Amino acid sequence: MTELVLAICAVIAVYAALRAVLEKNTAKKLPFVTVMNFAVTGVIALILPHPLTLVAAAAYLIGATLEANAIASAMEKLRGEQT
Amino acid sequence: MIPEPAYIAASAVITLILFVGLDLFWKLPAHAGVSGTETIEREIEADGGDRCGGWMIGNIVTSPDASAGTLVAACGYWIWGVPGGLLAAVLIFIGARICADKGYAAVSGTLLATAVFWALDTFAGFPPETFIAGIVIAILIVQGVSPKRVSRILGKLWRRCS
Repeated sequence: MTELVLAICAVIAVYAALRAVLEKNTAKKLPFVTVMNFAVTGVIALILPHPLTLVAAAAYLIGATLEANAIASAMEKLRGEQT
Repeated sequence: MIPEPAYIAASAVITLILFVGLDLFWKLPAHAGVSGTETIEREIEADGGDRCGGWMIGNIVTSPDASAGTLVAACGYWIWGVPGGLLAAVLIFIGARICADKGYAAVSGTLLATAVFWALDTFAGFPPETFIAGIVIAILIVQGVSPKRVSRILGKLWRRCS
């Protein structure tokens, strides 16, 4: 069962990464990157089941969300300066 | 004996209903919660999507919401049972505060998801790892297939609910 779940998460991570690479618009890349981050978080937890892994997986997800937040905020700020 | 993919499909539907319901309850499609959401919403709207659905997708991307809470709760429940779910709630609250979000949707999502996972595991015999696959599939459906079409569906749902 764990192998099947791991395979699903890995396939979704690769699919989302490919969609993010193929998408040209930076803002439209971010939803695909989020899907990839969710799948990678699942893979991290599944590979090493330990309470500390949970902290590592949550730290990865939160860090990745903060990055998406920073990219989108920077784009918003740039737009404000240009107009 | 229920086949394994059936459990995964069922948990995908349950987690999808759970986090979309909670996000609608906490009014994520009503406005941009954190800075940067506007950019994503504008691009989705320019592409032919819905404004409210775009805000919800933008809010999910830029700060931990009920879906992030459900994922960390699923990981926590698989690793450590109910205490893992509670630890996940603490971690996700810290994460939401780091992203300048109040964290109501994220923490309530984590706690509710832990309770639902415990009930499904105890009374319906769901293997705990199915919830991880379930929420990853659910977020793929919402964000990874076609944000434009999904934003229209979310917008319609939001207008009906409000």
